[in-house]
Amino acid sequence: MTTPFLHINGIRKTYGPVVASDHVELAISEGEFMTFLGPSGSGKSTTLYILAGFQDPTAGDIKLRGQSILSTPSHKRNIGMVFQRYTLFPHLSVGENVAFPLRVRRMGQSEIAEKVKRALALVRLDGFEDRMPAKMSGGQQQRVALARALVYDPPVLLMDEPLSALDKKLREEIQVEIRRIHQETGVTILYVTHDQEEALRLSDRIAIFNKGKIEQVGTGPELYANPATHFVADFIGDSAFLSGELAGVQGNRAALRFANGQKVVDIPLHGAGRQGQAADLMLRPERVELSAEAGAEGASLPVTVQDITFLGNCTAVAARTDWGDAMTVRLNFGHPLAGRLARGDRLHVRWSPEAAHAFVRG
Amino acid sequence: MLLDFNKLGAWKWGLTAICVLMALFLLLPILFIVGLSFGSSRWLIFPPPGWTLKWYAELFADPRWLGAALTSAKIGVIVMVLSVALGLLASLALVRGTFRGREVLRAFFLTPMVLPVVIVAVALYAAFLRLGLNGTLVGFVIAHLIVALPFAIITITGALETFDPAIEDAAILCGASPWEARLRVTLPGIRHGLFSAAIFSFLISWDEVVLAIFMASPSLQTLPVKVWTTLRQDLTPVIAAASTLLVALTVLLMIAAALIRKGKSE
Amino acid sequence: MFSAITAGRRGSGLGFALPAVLLLFAFFVVPVAALLTRSVTEPELGLQNYAVLVGSSTYARIFFNTFFVSGVVTLITVLIAFPVAWALAIMPSRWASIIFAIILLSMWTNLLARTYAWMVLLQQTGLINRSLMALGLIDAPLQLTNNLVGVTIGMVYIMLPFMILPLMGVIKKIDPAILQAAALCGATKAQALRRVLIPLAGPGIASGALMVFVMSLGYYVTPSLLGGTANMMLAELIAQQVQSLVNWGMGGAAAFLLLVVTLGLYAVQLRFFDAKEAR
Repeated sequence: MTTPFLHINGIRKTYGPVVASDHVELAISEGEFMTFLGPSGSGKSTTLYILAGFQDPTAGDIKLRGQSILSTPSHKRNIGMVFQRYTLFPHLSVGENVAFPLRVRRMGQSEIAEKVKRALALVRLDGFEDRMPAKMSGGQQQRVALARALVYDPPVLLMDEPLSALDKKLREEIQVEIRRIHQETGVTILYVTHDQEEALRLSDRIAIFNKGKIEQVGTGPELYANPATHFVADFIGDSAFLSGELAGVQGNRAALRFANGQKVVDIPLHGAGRQGQAADLMLRPERVELSAEAGAEGASLPVTVQDITFLGNCTAVAARTDWGDAMTVRLNFGHPLAGRLARGDRLHVRWSPEAAHAFVRG
Repeated sequence: MLLDFNKLGAWKWGLTAICVLMALFLLLPILFIVGLSFGSSRWLIFPPPGWTLKWYAELFADPRWLGAALTSAKIGVIVMVLSVALGLLASLALVRGTFRGREVLRAFFLTPMVLPVVIVAVALYAAFLRLGLNGTLVGFVIAHLIVALPFAIITITGALETFDPAIEDAAILCGASPWEARLRVTLPGIRHGLFSAAIFSFLISWDEVVLAIFMASPSLQTLPVKVWTTLRQDLTPVIAAASTLLVALTVLLMIAAALIRKGKSE
Repeated sequence: MFSAITAGRRGSGLGFALPAVLLLFAFFVVPVAALLTRSVTEPELGLQNYAVLVGSSTYARIFFNTFFVSGVVTLITVLIAFPVAWALAIMPSRWASIIFAIILLSMWTNLLARTYAWMVLLQQTGLINRSLMALGLIDAPLQLTNNLVGVTIGMVYIMLPFMILPLMGVIKKIDPAILQAAALCGATKAQALRRVLIPLAGPGIASGALMVFVMSLGYYVTPSLLGGTANMMLAELIAQQVQSLVNWGMGGAAAFLLLVVTLGLYAVQLRFFDAKEAR
């Protein structure tokens, strides 16, 4: 096996009894865009801070090109980072901010000028050298921060929710910029976010964090099509979960029974489960359909319409199963049912086989 | 409504009148001294029968006034430097430290400001009697440092609290060592706070009366002590002249502080 | 959160506080403690200094003067400062900044210079007496210095900025929408003032008043210059015992009483009015 470019090797970090990250194991290849995705407190930031050297792990190691970097202090790690908050040096101009890493490296004046110019061009802020940070918008400030983090050609760039303070439109604009910069520079990026859309948009691969552990690593489509755990299935995508129990298991296929006795069959099962165990049926919204008629036996469920909300390109129908679980089904604009529904209508939810997954609960 | 000036109706004029009267109450005595200092009446008749600069001449002719002013300036500058230096270190500990009891320490640092100065003065006077520090420059500096330090700490912690530590972290990841980051990023980032602390500290020392009265000796006294002793003998217009110069200095420092504040908002 | 994380790597930072702590310990804590100790050891071990202090009518007079003057000064200061702070908080900023500058000028002007001004203004032949006589309001000059009237005027003059500035901050923080809501609910201006604005500014007023009261209790310069020896206040007593009478025991005892009252009221302030919020 070849040595991975960046190896996060069994990192564990505890604060007294609190486990912030637990046995995080990840190999990242050179030039990869890897995103840590998870809710706050899931350990993704802790892992990033350990990489940056702001924290020491309780156990484990981090290796860059096979060499441990843990004993190297932050300022000698040669790692770039863009922070969640604006961290431009307020007393220095944009040009001097970007020049700072080069100045502390005692680089020559002409080389500094050259590199600053190139870095600012990279983030499309040519000619902003003399501007003071306070006179810039948040988006511009984060772009300068990006230039400052890249100007010394670090092998790894860390980004800690850099766009969370920006509004949605600006965020999408800068996401495009980040992708472009990643392609142009080929720098390895570790990106932390709690926004699944941002993660899917930017990343080569995504590591889903939950309670200090990585639940699953994969490309966006892999994670979506094949979530390994209930948490991943829930975190990526906007799915409905219906709670029942396993009525039968055959290999990795299962039948589920719900509280009122209704049954669905032939659902791919994730995780080991026995008959009688509590399990959830997950339905991906885009493969779910509302219909006046029931589908094939065991591949549809009757529901009652609770509420209908028009949302522009679609209509959201809130429905309730006979045993009381709630789910939302979206009807595209122009759907034959859309205009004719009323509260209390009895309908059937139907799905195509790859849209349903069963997860053992626990 | 009550917090919208234009919707106050008749009350608006009432409030404005109170404000103007209060402003006159605060301002007129100061203008009054300035007027007296140029008045020719030895007996402080106002409005003065004529105008003169003789009180200023008398002031500058007396080497004791000049000597006292020089002593005050010397003490003020030393106190200013020490107060900012100690205040900065203490503020770093209070704001960036992680040890337990930071709030207790903060309260401790502020107690000299809360206690009546006369208690500190009497206590220090007794201690300095033993140490032989009464009437010495060192004694004055220590005494003034004790009362100036809380103000420096309040000002600098205030500046430091609004300075995001992540900026220092960013500097470190950029390759600056922790000390280099503090020196090149944090200090310039809070320079307005440091300047304000310096001005405050100097002014506190420069104006301080009570400690100085106890500490002073005939050979070494500060300007306020000279004013105090003169004042207790008689109300000569020379004091008005000295006071006017003090007011002028205050105005200058206020302008300096306003400029600092303006620089900060830009 | 971040700072705590990073600081953890760089040590606790307690060492930075050391120079200031040592300075305050050597030249503040120890001397004050030594002074207080002398109150029970000089001239001999025991509480006799306190017995004298509490028992004698001379000293009772001084305590009364101190608390009475401080109380009156606080009351007058609050009555003037509240409307001024209120107006300053909502005035067009151009006017407000002029008045604000005057307040700062007065606050920063040398204390002795200000006291000197009042000594001259209030004396028998001073501008105030002569103006009043010229206006025919009085026949003979009023005695305004060397008594508690002078002290009170001088102290109000000095304390006003300390009351106005924090109070202005408190009133500025009140959301005008609350007062608009009160008006929509049918409250007249007077009702809104009494039932909404004053209660909302209440903690700020109380906290400022307590501060002015505490500062007044221990004030030395103005009472001794404007009050004269016949109308002594507590701070003067301490100074006199130590300086003129060289009675360290009595001086220490009086200092201890002043210290207890001051710290007690300061604790009340911290406990009931969050000092940070009022600032």
